[in-house]
Amino acid sequence: MFNTTFYVRRLHSLCGLVCLGAVLFEHIFTNSMAMGGPAALNSSLAMMELIPKPIFMGLEIGAIAVPLLFHAVYGVYIALQANNNPGRFGYQRNWFFALQRWTAWFLVIFLIWHIFYLRIFTKGINGTPISYELLQAYFTSNPVVAILYVLGMFAAIFHFCNGITTFCMTWGITKGPRSQNVISALSMGLCALLCLVTLAFMGSYFM
Amino acid sequence: MAEQKKVRFVIERQDGPNEKPYTQEFDVDYRPGLNVVAALMEIQKNPVTVDGKRVPPVTWECNCLEKVCGACMMVINGVGRQACCALIDELAQPIHLAPARTFPVIRDLLIDRSVMFESLKRIQGWVEIDGSWESKDAPIQNPYTAQTAYEISHCMTCGCCLEACPNVGPQSDFIGPAPTVQAYLFNLHPLGKFDAPKRLEALMGKGGITSCGNSQNCVEVCPKSIKLTTYLAQLNRDVNKQALRNIFNK
Repeated sequence: MFNTTFYVRRLHSLCGLVCLGAVLFEHIFTNSMAMGGPAALNSSLAMMELIPKPIFMGLEIGAIAVPLLFHAVYGVYIALQANNNPGRFGYQRNWFFALQRWTAWFLVIFLIWHIFYLRIFTKGINGTPISYELLQAYFTSNPVVAILYVLGMFAAIFHFCNGITTFCMTWGITKGPRSQNVISALSMGLCALLCLVTLAFMGSYFM
Repeated sequence: MAEQKKVRFVIERQDGPNEKPYTQEFDVDYRPGLNVVAALMEIQKNPVTVDGKRVPPVTWECNCLEKVCGACMMVINGVGRQACCALIDELAQPIHLAPARTFPVIRDLLIDRSVMFESLKRIQGWVEIDGSWESKDAPIQNPYTAQTAYEISHCMTCGCCLEACPNVGPQSDFIGPAPTVQAYLFNLHPLGKFDAPKRLEALMGKGGITSCGNSQNCVEVCPKSIKLTTYLAQLNRDVNKQALRNIFNK
């Protein structure tokens, strides 16, 4: 008997934490360069351009697009199996369970917009390189865009950090309530930290 | 003489499995120590609503009346729990009663919980004793895990955890925390452990332990205080090891 469900579920968990976690960290790391001004961010972006094109494209497709699509499509299937009930059972973990799914729905929409506009339309079709000046114009010309991007980052950061906690449960790493609570507190600490970093680099465009 | 104190019940009723639910209100004479089952018995004796209308008595299920059998699980003030140990003195009034709609409703507060029995069959919730092999004296329980086994054996398949779990319901095929964790009980048993791989395989299938979303409502509502999430995590560990064996032992 080959338990497809089991392997697909575990793959979903693994590629969320490893691939998409790495993508999230790369985004936060590179974007935080904006705090150092235009030169810092632009040189950081230029450094990525040094990666040979075929390798870069391979990484974008193999390490981002495919895992993201799989995680999103199978994630929608998982989210549809839940009947969120934090109103009836207002325990912290149940709120996080619902938030994990609500942030997921928001991220599906946000990422379609983000990837299509910046990666496919601006960089791909128009051939405009992403730069500090482009991002600053994009965010400061319309505060709604900046707010949606901050919310998108918050959603992704929470989804990832709460994902660490549930990953540890799903893989049987944290078994008892004490270890689960410790991991939960640590990952929420990381969540707060990454959210502050996001606010800092997004705010730096308006300074 | 002081006026008789009344307790108001708002009961969600339903005449049959496919009928529309409706609510009726009843008043029951208060007495010290009154619980929900006793109050339902009073309503059964005199099924008259607060409007003075005589109606068919409210149907529900109960058996042991001491929080052991699990039969009287219903939604009391929004939470699934045992009606026999739901004391009126500890409940906000008016008291709202509803059937646990995670399960098919047969009539009024009576539900069909047989889906859990089917799930227990699926995870092989028993110990194989009949066979062509020689039976000697009964093996002893591991004294170090006996306490855990005793705790899990308290499960009365009442269904409170399934009612609270957001991943159990018509939208999902998850068998729920209670039957899943029973697999661990039988895997701990000195004879039952021989069939542990079979139980783990069953949990790896569709609607098995992979459908758990870690909302952890189950452990909060379990009337027997079984550490469900701890044993779910243990089973997660066990199915992962089983998967590695499946991949690399061939």
